[in-house]
Amino acid sequence: MALLQIAEPGQSTTPHQHRLAVGIDLGTTNSLVATVRSGEVTTLADANGKHLLPSVVHYGEDGVQVGEEALKYSVSDPYNTIVSVKRYMGRGHADVQGDDAHHSYHFADTDSTVPRFKTRRGEVSAIEVSAEILKVLKQRAEESLGGELVGAVITVPAYFDDAQRQATKDAARLAGLEVLRLLNEPTAAAVAYGLDTGNEGVIAVYDLGGGTFDISILRLNKGVFEVLATGGNSSLGGDDFDYAISQWIIEQAGESYRETPESKRLIMQQAKAAKEQLAEAQSVDITIDSGDFHWQGTLDRDTMEELIRPLVQKTLMSCRRALRDAGVDNEDISEVVMVGGSTRTLLVREMVAGFFDCELLTGIDPDKVVATGAALQADVLAGNKPDDEMLLLDVIPLSLGIETMGGLVEKIIHRNTAIPVSRAQDFTTYKDGQTAMAIHVLQGERELVSDCRSLARFELRGIPPQVAGAARIRVTFQVDADGLLIVSAREENSGVEASVDVKPSYGLSDSEVETMLRDSIEHAEEDMHLRMLREQQVEADRVIEALDSALAVDGDELLSEKEKTAIAAAREELLQARDGNDTNVIEEKIKQLEAVCEDYVARRMNSNIKSAMQGHSIEEYASDSEAGDS
Amino acid sequence: MTKDILASNFFELFDLPVAYDIDTGKMQQAYMALQKQVHPDRFASASDQEKRISMQQTSWINEAQTTLKDPVQRAAYMLKLKGLDINLHNETTMDAAFLMQQLEMRERLENIKKEADPLAALDKMAKDVKQSSSELMQGFARAYEEDRLDDAREYIRKLQFMQKAKNQINNLIADIEDELMG
Repeated sequence: MALLQIAEPGQSTTPHQHRLAVGIDLGTTNSLVATVRSGEVTTLADANGKHLLPSVVHYGEDGVQVGEEALKYSVSDPYNTIVSVKRYMGRGHADVQGDDAHHSYHFADTDSTVPRFKTRRGEVSAIEVSAEILKVLKQRAEESLGGELVGAVITVPAYFDDAQRQATKDAARLAGLEVLRLLNEPTAAAVAYGLDTGNEGVIAVYDLGGGTFDISILRLNKGVFEVLATGGNSSLGGDDFDYAISQWIIEQAGESYRETPESKRLIMQQAKAAKEQLAEAQSVDITIDSGDFHWQGTLDRDTMEELIRPLVQKTLMSCRRALRDAGVDNEDISEVVMVGGSTRTLLVREMVAGFFDCELLTGIDPDKVVATGAALQADVLAGNKPDDEMLLLDVIPLSLGIETMGGLVEKIIHRNTAIPVSRAQDFTTYKDGQTAMAIHVLQGERELVSDCRSLARFELRGIPPQVAGAARIRVTFQVDADGLLIVSAREENSGVEASVDVKPSYGLSDSEVETMLRDSIEHAEEDMHLRMLREQQVEADRVIEALDSALAVDGDELLSEKEKTAIAAAREELLQARDGNDTNVIEEKIKQLEAVCEDYVARRMNSNIKSAMQGHSIEEYASDSEAGDS
Repeated sequence: MTKDILASNFFELFDLPVAYDIDTGKMQQAYMALQKQVHPDRFASASDQEKRISMQQTSWINEAQTTLKDPVQRAAYMLKLKGLDINLHNETTMDAAFLMQQLEMRERLENIKKEADPLAALDKMAKDVKQSSSELMQGFARAYEEDRLDDAREYIRKLQFMQKAKNQINNLIADIEDELMG
């Protein structure tokens, strides 16, 4: 298999045979970490035995608290207690104003493209708040598993756009977590139910969480998951049920209502509690006691259902659209996986079962199902199950396009295209001697720039000066397996690589992330240098070790003498650099060795493909070649 | 015999003969077999170099599948293999009778919501478009086999109109369904 997955026993640089990897469900309301231990998935608990970590961060007088501890302050210290931070990931200032009805925070005036919450411990972005949550989960995992993690699979709503995915990845980076893959939550849920083994057919995953709704239509076929379509609403969830109920309470209270941040929060909490109790009870008594506002009343199930019915109806509209996108009918759906705490609400189950007219899968705790699937996938990606056949084929959820004349968007990669994918587009200059060019990238389905989400502005520089229209600049849009966009540009006539300056519309620039990283590392500068040197040396060992085992297997077969000599020389140079103490030189020599090996690595990968295809071909391709001749 | 993914054309990639009628089942099978080997998930803990190669190879395979699945893109790609690289955006037919027909259809679609049973009318139109498309596809396949590339190109131009009409009809159906749902 892969070059670097081969490690000789005893020589391995990693002390553990089993590579520790976790799945993390970074939820709007709660977060959760899970791992695979002796073939079984377990969610990991904190010291008090609690599995769910409320996604709440409190910036207190004497430090930062996360989870239950932080939740205690949500009523008494609302401005310094960030809840539902996921709603703010990858969002801009305008979004924050639009969404403010639900929450009450102070936002700082800032030059940064991302909004920053004002807290007593300074201004923080949603990325930093999420990183606090991830740090706690990482620490929990490392303590409970007794070792360092090689990485994590972090789940995101299928509906997340590029900025939101990038923000999630940045948060992981800040928390010191290696992201093995960003996985769509509904896909993780299907994996949790083991729908990859033996099942064939089309299923739906209905995921109604605290703050997001996702519907995914997946086709399962011999261990391969294909996402036929995704849809949903990134700002609709159980929180909105709570909000609807809280509005009802306020309406009932009439003139006696006194609005304060505290009373708003308290009403939301009571509304949520009432909703949960109504999954069992026919009616509940509600008592609100906040400062000079007191209210007491009774909410019955029928009333609640009338309050939330329009919201559930909205989710079904998204389901219809997803079915149409997938090109399937209700009858084609064999199972519906129910995910997210809000699917405990009886009306939701009733209406979803009615819509799809089939049985619902509710066997796994709907709060844990996503983390469970993520843990299974993390185990595969960490290389712990090399023979596993499971493969997730994913799609890009929203079309990517660029701005053209007249404020219109030209789509370059259509939604639901399988990823990774790359598309090239040619541009030319419109002025003599033009050496720079701006490209505005957008995401969304609408035709007008103003109706789509701005992702980034790219500035191409270093175009060789030519007469207008002569330059041919080929811009390649590459979307990787995490659904993240990478842009590169090249002037075709001269072969000059144009440099690309990325200005993310709603994200952090690389330098901002660097600064945060530096700020977050508490070590003295010397320590940091030493740490980086150590890391680079480990990396050098890893590269050499992998190369040696690869050469032992097929070096003679795949390489000419000349190539072998070149590789040996580059290997020797790296060996020498490795024992020095210059981090940059080691890094450079690794790159050099990798460049020399580029063809060899590609050949190895291709030769693997060949043998596997041959293994396949005996009966399948015999009949095919006949068909081809006829 | 080694399969160099990035050096293979889309048909070779899936072990298909270069012909307009493709065995989609077989293509899907080959697509999955390749994905299982080169997909980035197989290289999640590999070197950056392998990750990059894996991403390029998978992108190429995805591009191949997307292209071959689509009747217009597949046809254009086949012409490209013959050295005729056309830009679909700039292709338009000059066949006056055909254009007239298209114009009439567009006009009818614009006012279709005012008809007595718009859904039934749209279903009927969708069927007609499908029929015309399939005739055009057969025309392309024949022209291509007989190496009449200019004729083949003309079929692509017309097919593009049909595809746009099909999308327009589907969007209208979706609109009307949504309105009916309230």
